[in-house]
Amino acid sequence: MSQPLDRLQWRPSLTTLIASGLVILGLLLAPVNWGFLVLVALGTLGPGILREFGWLRDKDEFQQRAARRAGFHAYLVTGFIAFLLVAYLRSGERDIKDPEELATFFLALLCFTWFFSTLLSYWGPQKTARRTLVVFGSAWFLVTVLDNFDDPVAMFMQVLVMAAPFFGLAFLARKWPRVAGVLLIAASVFYLFYLGMLRSSAMGLATRGLVLVLFLGPLVASAVALLLGPHADGQEEQEVARTK
Amino acid sequence: MKPRHEISNHLRRHRLMADGMTQQELADRVGVTRQTILSIEKGKYNPSVGLALRLALTFGVAVDELFEIEKGL
Repeated sequence: MSQPLDRLQWRPSLTTLIASGLVILGLLLAPVNWGFLVLVALGTLGPGILREFGWLRDKDEFQQRAARRAGFHAYLVTGFIAFLLVAYLRSGERDIKDPEELATFFLALLCFTWFFSTLLSYWGPQKTARRTLVVFGSAWFLVTVLDNFDDPVAMFMQVLVMAAPFFGLAFLARKWPRVAGVLLIAASVFYLFYLGMLRSSAMGLATRGLVLVLFLGPLVASAVALLLGPHADGQEEQEVARTK
Repeated sequence: MKPRHEISNHLRRHRLMADGMTQQELADRVGVTRQTILSIEKGKYNPSVGLALRLALTFGVAVDELFEIEKGL
C-alpha cells in the first residue's frame, strides 16, 4: 500500500474499498433521487450484516471486538438520546415538525458514535483526537479559502481565526493532551454560541441536533478522549517508525 | 472488592529476539493485522486462547512464557 496510507497505519481491505465506494456513490446520487440513499445504507451497514451471518470473514479478532464495542457504544448513545427526546416530547405539547431531519439526526449520531469509537480502539485517544483536529482544521481551511478567494486579507484573517486554532490544538495535544482537552472544551462552547445553537428559533430541534453532532460532536468527543484517556501514543509512534 | 488480575506479555521481547521480526511479519504469520499485534504488545488487547497459542507456536515457547497474570490490588 502507498506510503501516506502506511503513515496513517490504514490498509483498506477490498470490503472497505467497496463499502466506501457505495457510500460515496450514494451520497453523490442522493440529491438526484433520495432512493440512492440505499447505497449508503448498504455501504455502511452491509458488511456488518454479512459478517454477522458469517458470510464475510475479513476481520481478525481485535477488529471484530472493536466493531462490536463501537456498535455497543452507538447503541448506548443513540438509545439514551432517544429516551431523552421521547421524555421531552411527551412531557408537554411538543411535536417534531421535521421527521426527516430527526431520522437524519439519529443516523448521524449512530454513525458518528460508531466511527469515533472504532477510531479510539485503533488509534487510542490521543492520536484519534489529534487527527480529528487536523481534519477539522483542514475542513475549515478549505471552507474559508473557497469563501474568500477574491479577498486575500479576509482569507488570511479567517484562516487564522477559524482553521489555525485546530492545527495549534492538534500540536498541543501531542505535548500536553490535558491542556488541549480543556481548550477544546472552551472551543466547543465558543462554537455552540457561534453556530447559534442555544438561541436559534429558525432551526428546528432535529436540525440543531444534527449540526451539533456533525460540528461539535468530534470536538467534544476529542476533548473527552484527551481529558480522560491514557496517553501513550509516543511509544506507539516509535514502534511504527521501527517497523518501517 | 475482588482483586484485579492484569495480564502482561513478553511478546515484544520475543519478537525482537526472533531476528528482529517486525510486527507486520508476525501478524502475517499468525493471520491477524499489524494493529492487533501492536495492541497486544501495548497491553490494550488480550488475545483469544487460539491466537495466544498461535503466537506461542511461532516463537516455539509455551503460552505462559509469553503471557503471565499479575495480581493487583
